[in-house]
This record gives sequence, C-alpha cells and structure tokens, in this order.
Amino acid sequence: MLNRYERARIIGARALQIAMDAPVLIETVEIDSIRVAITELDAGVLPLTVIHKDE
Amino acid sequence: MVSDLYLLEQMETVLKGAVSRVVMEEAHTKLLSFNEKRDFSEEELQRILHEIVAEYRKARVDPGEPVGTVAAQSLGEPGTQMTLNTFHYAGVAEINVTLGLPRIIEIVDVRKDPSTPVMAVALDDEHRFSKEKAILAAQRIEGTTVENVARSTALDVIGAEFSIELDSERMEDSGLTFEEVIKKLKKTKSVERIRYDEDEGLVILSPGTVNLLKLRRFSQKIKGLSLKGIKGIERAMIKKEGDEYFVYTEGSNLAEVMTVPGVDPYRTTTNNIYELFEVLGIEAARNAIMREIQKVLDEQGLEVDRRHIMVLADAMCLEGDIQQIGRHGITGEKASVLARASFEVTTGHLLEAAREGEKDRLNGVTENVIVGQPIPLGTGIVELVMNPSFEDAKEV
Repeated sequence: MLNRYERARIIGARALQIAMDAPVLIETVEIDSIRVAITELDAGVLPLTVIHKDE
Repeated sequence: MVSDLYLLEQMETVLKGAVSRVVMEEAHTKLLSFNEKRDFSEEELQRILHEIVAEYRKARVDPGEPVGTVAAQSLGEPGTQMTLNTFHYAGVAEINVTLGLPRIIEIVDVRKDPSTPVMAVALDDEHRFSKEKAILAAQRIEGTTVENVARSTALDVIGAEFSIELDSERMEDSGLTFEEVIKKLKKTKSVERIRYDEDEGLVILSPGTVNLLKLRRFSQKIKGLSLKGIKGIERAMIKKEGDEYFVYTEGSNLAEVMTVPGVDPYRTTTNNIYELFEVLGIEAARNAIMREIQKVLDEQGLEVDRRHIMVLADAMCLEGDIQQIGRHGITGEKASVLARASFEVTTGHLLEAAREGEKDRLNGVTENVIVGQPIPLGTGIVELVMNPSFEDAKEV
C-alpha cells in the first residue's frame, strides 16, 4: 500500500517520462500524461519501487 | 452478552498489530465496561473492533507529513483569537493565575520564574478527609513572616530600636504562639537585646550600636524573618474537591512541600514547569508542558488536537532538558549551519562554522531550500528506484 506522498511521487515521475515520449505500458484512452501515469500505477504495471530509508 | 474471554480473544485477533499497545489497552478496559452495560452481541463486538482499526488508520499520519509545521499552525491560529486578558481568578479562593497569551509565551520561553507560580497540594489519607487536619497541613505549608503576624511595626531611629506589635489573631491563624515568635526572634543573629513592653504590648528589639543604614536593614530583615512554613509559599488555602481537601498555594516550592508531613508527594504538583523538571525530571516536565498549554486553551474555549501539543512538548524535551522555542533553544541549537544562519546573525554563524570547519549534511528543510534542492518532506522524502526484474511490465 502506498501512502499519498509515495503515490504522488510515482505518478509525477512516471508522468514526466510519458510527457517526454516514453513508451506507455498499457492500453488507455487517456491523453493527459498524468492521467496515463495514474492508470498505469493502478494497473500495477510500473516497475518502480519505493525505498524506505530507515528500514 | 459476550464473555470476557471471547472479547479478549477477538481483540487479540482483530487489533493486535493493527493498533498501538496504548490504544489496545484503552479499548480493552472500555469495552469490558461497556459490554457489561450494553450486552454486546458477537456481531456488534466485531463491528466495534473493526471501527477502532479504521479510526486508528485514519488518525495516523503518513511518513513525510510536516507535523511540526501543522502543529505550529494549529496552535498559532487559535492564538490569534485569544484575549489578551492576563489575569484570571481560577475560582480557587481568589488565587489568580496568569492565563491566555502571556502564559503561553511563558511556557514556550521556559521562564524559570513564572509570574504566578501556584501549587496544588494533595494530602495523605490521614489529612485529606478532615477540614481541621487539612487546615493544619496548610498552616505547615504557608510561609509566615514577622510582618504577617504584626499589627504594626515602628522604627525608633533615636533609640536604635525596632518595635513590633504582635497580633494575636493573626498568630492564631498561622498556628503560632507568642512564645514561639519570641523564641525565633531571640535566635536571630543580629538581635542583640530583646524585651517585652507589657503596657504597650510591644516587642522591642535592638541591634546594638549600629549606624542608621544598618538599623534600617535590620528592620527589613526582621520584618521578612520566616517564622514558619516554606520559603516561596506566600499563601496557602484549602479547597474541597469531591470528598477530599486540597491545599492550593500562591508561590511554589515543590521539593520542600513534598516533604511536609501530611502532604501526598505523589499527587502534588506545581505550575512552575522548570521547577517540576528539576525535581521530577524530563518526563514530568513534558507532561506539565502539555497540561499547562491545555489549561490555557480550555480556559479560552479553544479546541486544539492534543497531538499538536504533544509535538510541541516533545520538541522542547527532546534533548533531555527543556529547550525554549527560540534563539536560545530549538532554533539556536539546530544541527545545520545554514538553518541557524537563516534565522539570525547570518554572517556570525557562517564565520564561526567556517572557522571550526563545520559540515552541513543537508538533512533539514531549510538547508535544502537554500541550496535549491527538493526538501525532505512529503513527496520529497520518497525515493524511487527502477525495478529491472519487474516482469509484468509489457510494452503495448
């Protein structure tokens, strides 16, 4: 489970990649890069991992 | 009604690991008592337990939440609504206590001499249920000076004598006898001769041959001579609360009041936070900070979540002694040079840090704002890595 900061950070990072023409990992009708990133994250196709520093 | 054993079992399965130990303990005692009153069914119990977990999750903050800033705002806004009315008679037999904004300032500045120190003294089992015994204890606590029991005093400059007219009523109030007062006066070093003028009812003291200045000093010293009770306690009065009596004092001297016979040292407290810290330690001080701030807010009818106050108290007590909020405390002793420099005397801090070869690890918020990096708060605290072995990733 991601907390809201982790979620926002991942969506932001991914949306930036998409906006810079990275290949989209999922079939979607969305145009907006942020919306696409959200769809990707919710579909569980993003290979991004959150590092927990003090664990 | 579910059995106590079933209740405990269900609590273990649903709550364990999901909520903190403190919450669990509190839930346990409360559920036990409510179960008796309301006869929970198994289903009701389940729903309550799951509700507890849900509420607990909702009340938690995410890592990266700027709790200090939120606490500062949550205390600061009600602060703007506070009336400036300084004094307030706390309902306790005319003891007045500083409340409102001045008191808040006093607390966060960790003032060692608060303007209105007061104590709430609890009494032991022998004294707390009887009015007479409580008065006795109050008399032992209340500091009484010669001036307090004198109807009048006079300084005879020509005869180099100081005369006191003792008030028998006042002496009785403080539980003193005429003989005790005389004895105490005789013991005082600078008193050379003492005699009692029976016709006038005057006690006449002489310091021997001294100059005028010394004579005046002598008279001041005698007036302030402590006859009974504890230094620093100006007034003590009893008040009934529930079925027991408490002694409330103006002035505070925790260490000594705790040793007075009849006093229950475990339940006795003072509003002088620094004194409490010196006598009982840092945890007591932390509790006192929270209690005193809460008292001010309650009195003004303002509602602030306890946890904001806890953050404040924790920040002040983190180092093991009480640090004030401001240049001589939390702000002034920040680990980062840049954070300190951004507060005040910028060049001074930078120069000193350069001279000592200080390093800045850029761990805090201020430092990172200065160098133009993302700050370690909120999304800035999240670190991401690519996971190359992630197999579900497939290109469209």
